Amino acid sequence: MNAVETKNLHVYYGNNHVIKDVSLEIPEKRVFALMGPSGCGKSTFLRTLNRIIELREEAKVEGEVRIYGKNIYSKDVDPIEIRKNVGMVFQEPNPFPHLTIYDNVALGVKLNKLVSSKEELDKRVEWALKKASLWDEVKDRLGDYPSNLSGGQRQRLVIARALAMKPRIILMDEPTANIDPVGTARVEELLFELKKDYTIILVTHSPHQAARVSDYVGFLYLGELIETGPTKKVFENPEHELTEKYVTGVLG
Amino acid sequence: MSEFKLRKGKEKLFLALISSLTFLTVLPLLHIIFTVFEKGFQTLSKGGMNFLLGTLSEGGIGPAIVGTFFLTFLATLLGVPIAFFVGLYAYEFPNSTLGRWVKVLLQIMLEFPTILVGVFVMQILVVPMGTYSALAGALGLATILTPYVTIYTHEAMREIPSTYREAAYSLGLTRFKVLIRVLGPMAKRGILTGVLLGVAKVAGETAPLLFTVGGRYESYSISLTKPAGAIPLLIYQLVQSPSKADHEMAWGASLVLMLIFLAMFIPLRLSLKEVKL
Repeated sequence: MNAVETKNLHVYYGNNHVIKDVSLEIPEKRVFALMGPSGCGKSTFLRTLNRIIELREEAKVEGEVRIYGKNIYSKDVDPIEIRKNVGMVFQEPNPFPHLTIYDNVALGVKLNKLVSSKEELDKRVEWALKKASLWDEVKDRLGDYPSNLSGGQRQRLVIARALAMKPRIILMDEPTANIDPVGTARVEELLFELKKDYTIILVTHSPHQAARVSDYVGFLYLGELIETGPTKKVFENPEHELTEKYVTGVLG
Repeated sequence: MSEFKLRKGKEKLFLALISSLTFLTVLPLLHIIFTVFEKGFQTLSKGGMNFLLGTLSEGGIGPAIVGTFFLTFLATLLGVPIAFFVGLYAYEFPNSTLGRWVKVLLQIMLEFPTILVGVFVMQILVVPMGTYSALAGALGLATILTPYVTIYTHEAMREIPSTYREAAYSLGLTRFKVLIRVLGPMAKRGILTGVLLGVAKVAGETAPLLFTVGGRYESYSISLTKPAGAIPLLIYQLVQSPSKADHEMAWGASLVLMLIFLAMFIPLRLSLKEVKL
């Protein structure tokens, strides 16, 4: 079953046509990496999958995004409900600086009233932090603020914040772009764990990272989807000349 | 060589000119602080606690001090919640017609002649009620406080990087929860700065109280619908009297007002540097 499908998806910022007729299929419980050089529209594409793109007033979306078969851009769909099932992790590790480690993870669960008691909330927070393999490092200081954590720990905290909502899909927008190599390795390891239960859609400008972590891959160039398929196939036997140039590092 | 000397001479001359102009600019402030301290201190030390606690006929300004605190508190209570929501609105809907206008209008309100605020409140409250009241005074002060808090709220919200906004929405929160439960608390230091600046400003205002609050200097009773006292208003009235004793009391009251103002303003200004996310 495909977790996500897009059909003839276009995105415009005012007169600027940034996503051009992208149709792709993303299978369930796999890591899908969308790669491409900076400014090719990767982040924009990712933001159409949970309709967070709508925070930008000038953005206009055409076409379909189907999540488990349901077009999330049809009129009767509430974007807030979509976002409860599609979590997101950002390029900048961005735990809320005014909330404690515990409250960062608990926030979405608490404000959406997904649990009915403090004990359940405690359990959910512990579960999410364990899933994000951060629990052992923070269990004694849940009341601390995230500013004391390293970049990599902060990013795992943000992953825990997304996981606590128990989404089915997790979007990751260059999650390792701003953290050190050790932190990057830990986040990448985590992806292998998480794909057992979740569909992960990862945006990266590094073909190496895409090759390391993904099962399926898409190559986006100047807003157009050049090629998509199983990672092994796309890297070893690309169909398109541009893809070959990109994965071999000729194309920035 | 001589051209070099000439240029150096010019520079020295210019520097001296600028320095003395700068000094002249702050001279009034230093003079005010010094004079108020010198003259006010005599009154204060002569009257002692009686000056701070007694009624006017006992030679004290107690009711005026209480009135100033009462009015400032009421004005904060009236103005801050409204200002907070207006600030959020201007932040969240910057491109709406109202959102665009509100910023311009608030900038004007910030500089608006405060006496006109007094006239406005007199029209809408004092005339219909048929009496001066603490409520009318507080409304006048709240009208002056509101633009400060709104503008600071708006600015503090705008300083939050957009990634936090996206993060909050990505958790499936409604717009209201994103603003009230996540971004608002994140901006609380900036908002608090606006509140304190506004409070420090209105605690010393006279003009909006002239036709609204009435004055109360002989008793301590506190009521929304009855006249209240205020230190700036009392100073204004004492200075108009021909008696020398009244002038001395005015100096003492000025010192008390200045101390209240400095006590709020100096810590605030010092902490402003660290107001950031």
